[in-house]
Amino acid sequence: MTIAIVLFSLAAGAYFIAVLESWLIHGRFSLTRPAISALALLGRESVLARTPDRLFFETAPVLLLVVGLLAAAVIPLAPGLIITDLATGALFLNAALAYVLVALIMAGWGPNGAFAMIGGWRFLGQFIAYAMLIVMPITAVAMRAESLSTVDIVQSQAALWNIAYQPIGFALFVVAAMGLAWLPPLDLPTGGGDLAGGFEAEYTGARLAVLRLARLFIILVMAGSTVTFYLGGWLGPWLPPVVWSAIKILAVAALMLIGGRMLPRVREARYLAVSWKLGISLALTNIFLVGVIALVVPI
Amino acid sequence: MTGSFAQVFFLAFFGAAAVWFGIVVFRTHSMVRSAIALLFSQTAVGVMFLLMQAEFLGVLQIMMMATEMSVMAIFMVMFMMDPGGMGAMEMTHQKRLSLWAGGIGLVGALAVIWLAEWGPVALSVPAAADQTADLGRELLGRSMFIFQSAGLTILTAMVAATMVAIAPDEERRQ
Repeated sequence: MTIAIVLFSLAAGAYFIAVLESWLIHGRFSLTRPAISALALLGRESVLARTPDRLFFETAPVLLLVVGLLAAAVIPLAPGLIITDLATGALFLNAALAYVLVALIMAGWGPNGAFAMIGGWRFLGQFIAYAMLIVMPITAVAMRAESLSTVDIVQSQAALWNIAYQPIGFALFVVAAMGLAWLPPLDLPTGGGDLAGGFEAEYTGARLAVLRLARLFIILVMAGSTVTFYLGGWLGPWLPPVVWSAIKILAVAALMLIGGRMLPRVREARYLAVSWKLGISLALTNIFLVGVIALVVPI
Repeated sequence: MTGSFAQVFFLAFFGAAAVWFGIVVFRTHSMVRSAIALLFSQTAVGVMFLLMQAEFLGVLQIMMMATEMSVMAIFMVMFMMDPGGMGAMEMTHQKRLSLWAGGIGLVGALAVIWLAEWGPVALSVPAAADQTADLGRELLGRSMFIFQSAGLTILTAMVAATMVAIAPDEERRQ
């Protein structure tokens, strides 16, 4: 039952994001466009590039989809409404997200195309930099909760949400989450301007549909983990916990989508320099500050 | 035995998968495929940890290997002439030596498995959170010196590798 509810929420959330994204891109609100686009993609011919690495090409979209679903398994929507409350949930989320990288490398390498390959390797370069900006803020969150379980992490924020307790970590995590879901302005692996679709460029038809669906799941999972780690998960007054989770997750996803589009696309080298030099130092400072606060003032 | 049939079955399945992906590493001609096969071999080992109820170790193994093997793949692509294996590159070399080394290693591992005194079988597995705490005490207690020195060695190697990889100033200005 829990699995069915979570899967349904994922599907509904993904549709919401798709509607919002198409509104942002095309400038016109339409509830049906994502469904029509999906049907069109499924009906279209699935072109295979010349001399591809067929195994990688076929596996990548499916792997990305599986990663999105696995990561969603440890995000609590309400007390008891979580597929599996692992004692190492926060670490598991991280482990699942690391395979986004593997899937994108495979998607980039598979079709034997220059733009695709650059997109895939570019994501690797980025990922090495901001994987740290995901792991280190989570470390600080787990330090406060004294647990890696996502349920315990939500409960630890009953008195004060982590966004107020560790704002540096929140800012770093949101930026890294946007990079991980290759949302603008960090959409370098697909960069419309210079890579013409990047690793998505050679995918068509049903394979592209799976790839796009997986990306929607990843965006949703990143919004869900931001809510779990920093915005108090299901906690909130008056409304039932599930409603709070839904409101928060969709609001964070919407802010990520809309906010990113207001900014110009970041240059790859600059993004890497900022991640390594500023991001990691700030993340370490955050861990130190949280450690001091946790020892001095128990909140 | 506390393990159920399903546990033993999947343990054997993922063990076989780990070995099979290990073989694929050498059977393919493509460097990238080789790296990804090694990754999936290590991931299968991580799943085996999970099946043996060592949750923290399993998740850690699965997480670390994804990044590590991908970094290895990019270095292979950077430094090898034929990363895609278009020229049917051979992945094995020094075959006789490797066979001997592999054979001796296998015999040694089997000898350790059969001859070592493993002590009584643990009847219950500690909870996942307790395992993590125990592991932390082990790493920061008795084995701290070993791990700290290993960490420092790896850091030094990383800095040295970066130094070697960066072209000297005169060369870059050209």
